[in-house]
Amino acid sequence: MLKLHNLSKVYRTDEVETAALNSVNVEIESGEFVAIMGPSGCGKSTLLNIIGMLDSPSSGDYIFMGENVAGYNEAKLSNIRKQNIGFIFQSFNLIDELTVEENIELALLYHNIPASERRERVAHVMDKVGIAHRAKHMPSQLSGGQQQRVAVARAVVGDQAMILADEPTGNLDSAHGQEVMEMLQQLNAEGTTIVMVTHSPAHADYARRTINLFDGHVVTENLRAAE
Amino acid sequence: MFQNYISVAFRNLIKHKLYSAINIIGLAVGLAACVLITLFVRDELSYDTFWDEADSLYRMNTTFNVPGREPFVTVMAMGPAKGALERYFSEEIEAVTRFNNEWPVIQYDDKVFSEEVYFTDPTTVDMFSLDVIAGDLKASLNDNSTLVVNESFAKKHFGDRDPIGQVMTLTYYATTRDFRIGAVYKDLPHNSVLDFQALIMIDEADFENFPWEFQHWFSVNNNIFFKLKDGVSIDTVNARWKDFTDTMMDVRAQIEPGTNPSDFVTFSSQALLDIQLYPAGDGEMKPTGDIKTVMIFSAIAGLILLIACINFMNLATAKSTQRAREVAIRKVMGARRGQLVTQFLGESILLALVGLALGIVLVELTLPFYGDFLGRELTFSYTDGITMAILLGLIAFVGVLGGFYPAIALSGFLPARVLKANKSAETSGSVLLRNALVVLQFTISIGLIVSTAVVYGQMVYGQNMDPGFKKDNMLVIRNVGEKGMLHQQEAFKQEVLRLNGVNHASLTMGRPADGNESNTSVEIPGDPDAGSILLGRQGVDVDFFDTYQIPFVAGRKYEEDRAQDGAPSSDGATDGEILQGSIVVNERTIARLGFGSPEEAIGRVVRMGVGDGVQADLEVIGVVPDINFQSLKQIIRPEMYVMDDGWRGNLTVNFSGDPQALLAQIESIWQQMAPTVPFSYEYVDQALAEEFEAEQALATMLGAFSMLAIAVACLGLYGLASFTAERRTKEIGIRKVLGASVVDIVRLLIWQFSKPVLVANLIAWPLAAYGMMMWLESFPYRLDTWLLAPLCVVAGLIALTIAWVTVGGNAAKVARANPIKALRYE
Ligand SMILES: Nc1ncnc2c1ncn2[C@@H]1O[C@H](COP(=O)(O)OP(=O)(O)O)[C@@H](O)[C@H]1O
Ligand SMILES: [Mg+2]
Repeated sequence: MLKLHNLSKVYRTDEVETAALNSVNVEIESGEFVAIMGPSGCGKSTLLNIIGMLDSPSSGDYIFMGENVAGYNEAKLSNIRKQNIGFIFQSFNLIDELTVEENIELALLYHNIPASERRERVAHVMDKVGIAHRAKHMPSQLSGGQQQRVAVARAVVGDQAMILADEPTGNLDSAHGQEVMEMLQQLNAEGTTIVMVTHSPAHADYARRTINLFDGHVVTENLRAAE
Repeated sequence: MFQNYISVAFRNLIKHKLYSAINIIGLAVGLAACVLITLFVRDELSYDTFWDEADSLYRMNTTFNVPGREPFVTVMAMGPAKGALERYFSEEIEAVTRFNNEWPVIQYDDKVFSEEVYFTDPTTVDMFSLDVIAGDLKASLNDNSTLVVNESFAKKHFGDRDPIGQVMTLTYYATTRDFRIGAVYKDLPHNSVLDFQALIMIDEADFENFPWEFQHWFSVNNNIFFKLKDGVSIDTVNARWKDFTDTMMDVRAQIEPGTNPSDFVTFSSQALLDIQLYPAGDGEMKPTGDIKTVMIFSAIAGLILLIACINFMNLATAKSTQRAREVAIRKVMGARRGQLVTQFLGESILLALVGLALGIVLVELTLPFYGDFLGRELTFSYTDGITMAILLGLIAFVGVLGGFYPAIALSGFLPARVLKANKSAETSGSVLLRNALVVLQFTISIGLIVSTAVVYGQMVYGQNMDPGFKKDNMLVIRNVGEKGMLHQQEAFKQEVLRLNGVNHASLTMGRPADGNESNTSVEIPGDPDAGSILLGRQGVDVDFFDTYQIPFVAGRKYEEDRAQDGAPSSDGATDGEILQGSIVVNERTIARLGFGSPEEAIGRVVRMGVGDGVQADLEVIGVVPDINFQSLKQIIRPEMYVMDDGWRGNLTVNFSGDPQALLAQIESIWQQMAPTVPFSYEYVDQALAEEFEAEQALATMLGAFSMLAIAVACLGLYGLASFTAERRTKEIGIRKVLGASVVDIVRLLIWQFSKPVLVANLIAWPLAAYGMMMWLESFPYRLDTWLLAPLCVVAGLIALTIAWVTVGGNAAKVARANPIKALRYE
């Protein structure tokens, strides 16, 4: 599905240069479930953002579905992104002023999909994640777990092939965290590629492979034996 | 504690530079505009309040009710009215005086020039508390060869010499006499409707042969003022005007038997203090203001201030989101609600004070230009208690208004809610209120744009209105009726005609847009039922229609070789004789006389007195369209163009080519022929345009202040837009992650701010259109009302464009930002 080759990311601010990623080589197959772990500040989010094309690498190659997208401009990246990649964030990032339904629909709004079809697909994913009964509610009226389910629904409503999740369970209690992990596992079983940053070894266990980052380097990659 | 507030307040001011700048600048501009307008309004209201007797002084206005015409109102009255007032109202009126202006030719020190001089009655001294600098005013106004002048006049003509005792030779009508300067008074302040630089006692003997000035009851040339006796109410006088008219007006011989003078003339009184603001009619000494203008500008001042206050309030509520945390922490620390309200009000008032300081700087910077523009000296006085009280009151008002809502809203936050969730602390109520206020701001702005456009449009319309005659490349040489030129004016005309570039020339009584009223009554021979009909009159010569290029609807113009053309002279005729002649009239005359179509009117006859009891039957030989010769601002009257041997005061020259060269040549002819008469001229197109000077000034001022209003509104919108963008960064980030392009985001933000502007349009259009329709009503010739529709749409588009430009740049910046920044720190 994607391949990072010698990929580095350097952040320059006025005074300091931070090498957030240092010659990272990562390959992710289609249909994989990958967990990224590592201490705070080691570059996990940076890696995920680059994979998600929200940010561009400073050097190195990023081959996405056979295309080297490393040098692409924002408009091009945005186009590839909206076709293929869904996002789940630690803090849900729902829009407070929109209802559950509208929040999910937002992911289809920029895809030129007719309104009737949008409604259908939104209804379908809401069923799937079990929040159909909350369709007209505002995010602030939902619990954290429910909000994250809305975010999951939003990430998959556009039939994205890959979901990037940055600490999706970070703000949830263990019961709700578990719920979300099961949902991701289910999606993965249906064929969605999932890349997830997590601090929880238990949650990392849902993944087939774990990439350990330290100080911008990939230190180990553990492959969990298929059961 | 207090110190803590102050330092927080100042730190906030500095930390939120954009917010503070927008608020302070907006308020400063708003306050400055408000102060400037208030200075103007107070000045308008101060007119003539300085006279000692201001409260008991009134002016006599005259309305002529001419059948078939709009009533003609003048603020002047007839010469004999003075004596009549004194006799009839001997119980009520203490003194009466007249002011009648002339432009005598003055010889002094080998120089010849013309200056405006007012002939007045000695009673002026007792009525108007003139500030005498030198000489004896009372004695001077009781002597027919003494001139009283103001300081400027004295300075202009006598320089450093002592004016008292100087002698000038004045020539007016048949009189040439030496006048000694007997007194000098301080120039009248600009805030008086009276405007005279020199006074001479009226000696009616000088005008024996010119009875229209002071003796005729049907000729109005005097501003007549009267002073009520102590304790007398003006109502007593007002109640008796009709009886006064019928008792005192000695005109029975001139009007139809069975009618009364009061059928034709209505007198009314106007308080001196009302003259400036309540224009009553023609004939003021100088252009007056208008209460409508004062009200319009007061309203604009209020509106600008309102817009600035709304900015203040909107930005403050928007910002409250960001300060929720501070408030919550203060509350947790035990601050009471009252303390917090005090803190926020204090901050708001501090900001308003800074705004005021900057506003005063702006006032000081612009006042000289503003005063220049208004043509008066206005000063902003810091020691004036009222002004300062008003300003400080205003600041307290603005500060409290601007601080109140956020103070209450912020201090009412539940700290737990604010601290727990990182949610926007805004309630939907405050968003709604803010939107409503933005709608209000733009309603005002759009309304002002429409009003400015209409006022400006009406001015342009008036200036470009086709008067019905040629106005470009037309020169009017004045003073040709003055002694010294009068007897050789025909020769002068012939000399001018010989010049290169002169196409036509015509001697006339009046000139375009002079507004003079001259009327003559005619009868229709053989139709006694028609009675005597009063018609407007212009005295012309044989070249008038060619010179002014006036087309004919029917018939022909006067012709040189037809001896019978024109109105005959009474010379040599015997009393009661009826002479023959011809006349050209306008279409309204035909309608008034009931002569049918213009073609049918040709050959019909009107009978008119030509002096000394002699009458003439004049055959209608030509009908011209209704032209605005008298004024572009009056409804065209039925008018006759009489060719007779009457007095002619102006020579109109129809020319082509360079006017400067031509003027030089004409002037040199003038100097050779009449060196003792001042040479004076005007261009017809300029004279017509000058009629719209008041509208021009109004349009300029309205335009300037509406621009300010809009600028302040936009400043607020800009501030709001940046707050909104800030508040929505997370949302924008999410949308971008989900695939929204920069264009999508910009469109989203712009649409958000277009909505209130669009709603504002819907409110502003009908209001502005209605208001401007009312305003236009007062112009007999005005813009078509349908033009209001496109003007409204254009105003709406302008407002929308301004809003877009204001919001767009910011939106683009926000939209281009990398979304992960917005989402990172959640
Ligand atoms: N926009 C940025 N500007 C400067 N430095 C950044 C930026 N984003 C991340 N960094 C730095 O890059 C490093 C990696 O950050 P990040 O990928 O967020 O770490 P993690 O997600 O593993 O906690 C950190 O040192 C962080 O401070
Ligand atoms: Mg991170």
